[in-house]
Amino acid sequence: MKKAFVFLLSIFLTASVFGQRYFTKNGKINFDATSPSSPERVEAVNRSVTCVVDLKTGALQFALLMKGFEFERALMEEHFNENYVESNKFPKSEFKGKIKDVDEIDFTKDGTYKLKVKGDITIHGETKEVETEGKLVVQGGKINADADFNLKLSDFKISIPGLVADKVAKTAKITVSCSLEPLKN
Amino acid sequence: MKRKKIIRYSLIVLFVIVAAAAFYIYKEYNRTHQDTASLKPDYSFEAADFIREFEVNEKESNKKYGDKVIRVKGIVKQVIKDDQGFYTLALGDTSSMSSVRCSIDSMHSKEAATVTKVGMITVKGICSGFNSDELLGSDVILIRGVIDHKK
Repeated sequence: MKKAFVFLLSIFLTASVFGQRYFTKNGKINFDATSPSSPERVEAVNRSVTCVVDLKTGALQFALLMKGFEFERALMEEHFNENYVESNKFPKSEFKGKIKDVDEIDFTKDGTYKLKVKGDITIHGETKEVETEGKLVVQGGKINADADFNLKLSDFKISIPGLVADKVAKTAKITVSCSLEPLKN
Repeated sequence: MKRKKIIRYSLIVLFVIVAAAAFYIYKEYNRTHQDTASLKPDYSFEAADFIREFEVNEKESNKKYGDKVIRVKGIVKQVIKDDQGFYTLALGDTSSMSSVRCSIDSMHSKEAATVTKVGMITVKGICSGFNSDELLGSDVILIRGVIDHKK
C-alpha cells in the first residue's frame, strides 16, 4: 500500500513538473562591449526580459525590447538606440531555441545542472544560430537559469563608426540571468 | 602693429571657441539621465487603458508614447526585487496576465521598498515599448521609473 502511494506520488510529481512551463517577465540581460582601449565601461542592463521554457520539450524562448537596455550615460544610450541597433526600426530581439538533452535533467530534484542551449537569435533584424552552455539551479519549485556567451556585432550588421571603433569591442559579452516560476494556466 | 593686434584678437576668439567646444563635448559625454521625478509627464493613464492603447495599435502607440514620460495609475500586482536590490513594479488587473511593468530607478529604490501588493499606486517612467505573448499576456514597459505622489 505504502509502495503504491509512493509510486502514485512520484508519477503525480513528475507529471506536474514536466507538464509545466516556467516563465519570467523580469529576466536580466547584461550587454558589455567594453574594449581594452575604452576609457569607460560600454555596458547596459535590461531587467524586463521575458523568458518561457517548456520542461517537457526543452523549448526555450526569450524576448526583450532594445530600448529596455539602460546605460549609465545618456549619450551612450542614445547612440546605442539611434545609431547602432536602430531601436525604432528593430524594437525587439528574441531567441528561440532548445535545451539539449532536457530529459537528462531531473526538475523534481533540487540541484545545479549544466546544460547546452542551441537556437536562433534575432537582433537588428538579423538572425544567427548560437550555441552556448548554461546552468540551471532547481530549488524549492523555482528554477534559476544563467548563461553567458559572446556575439560578434558585425554578424548582426551593427556597425560602429570609425571615430569610436577602438572604444567599442567588436564582440559583446551577453550575460543572461532569469529566475523562473511555474506558469499557471 | 595693427596686424599684430588682429592676430592676437583672432587667437583669443579661437581659444574661446575651442574651450567652449571642449566644455560642451565634456559635458555631453558625461551627461547622465535626468531624474524622472523632475520630469513632467507627457501622458497620464490608468494601467488597463495604457495596455489597451498598445493592444489596439502597437505601431502607432510605439511612435506616440515611445521615449515619452508616462504617468500610470494602477493596482500593484507584483513587487519584484532582484538579486542586486533593483525593483520592478507590475501594475494592472490582478486577474490578468497583462500589466504595465515599471523598473524603478535605483535612486528611488528605498521608496519602492515600501510599496505593498494590491495597493493603488501611481508611477512615472520612460516608455520603452510593448511586449505581447499569447501565453504570457501583454506588457508595456517603463524604465527609470519613480513613484509619483502628485495628485
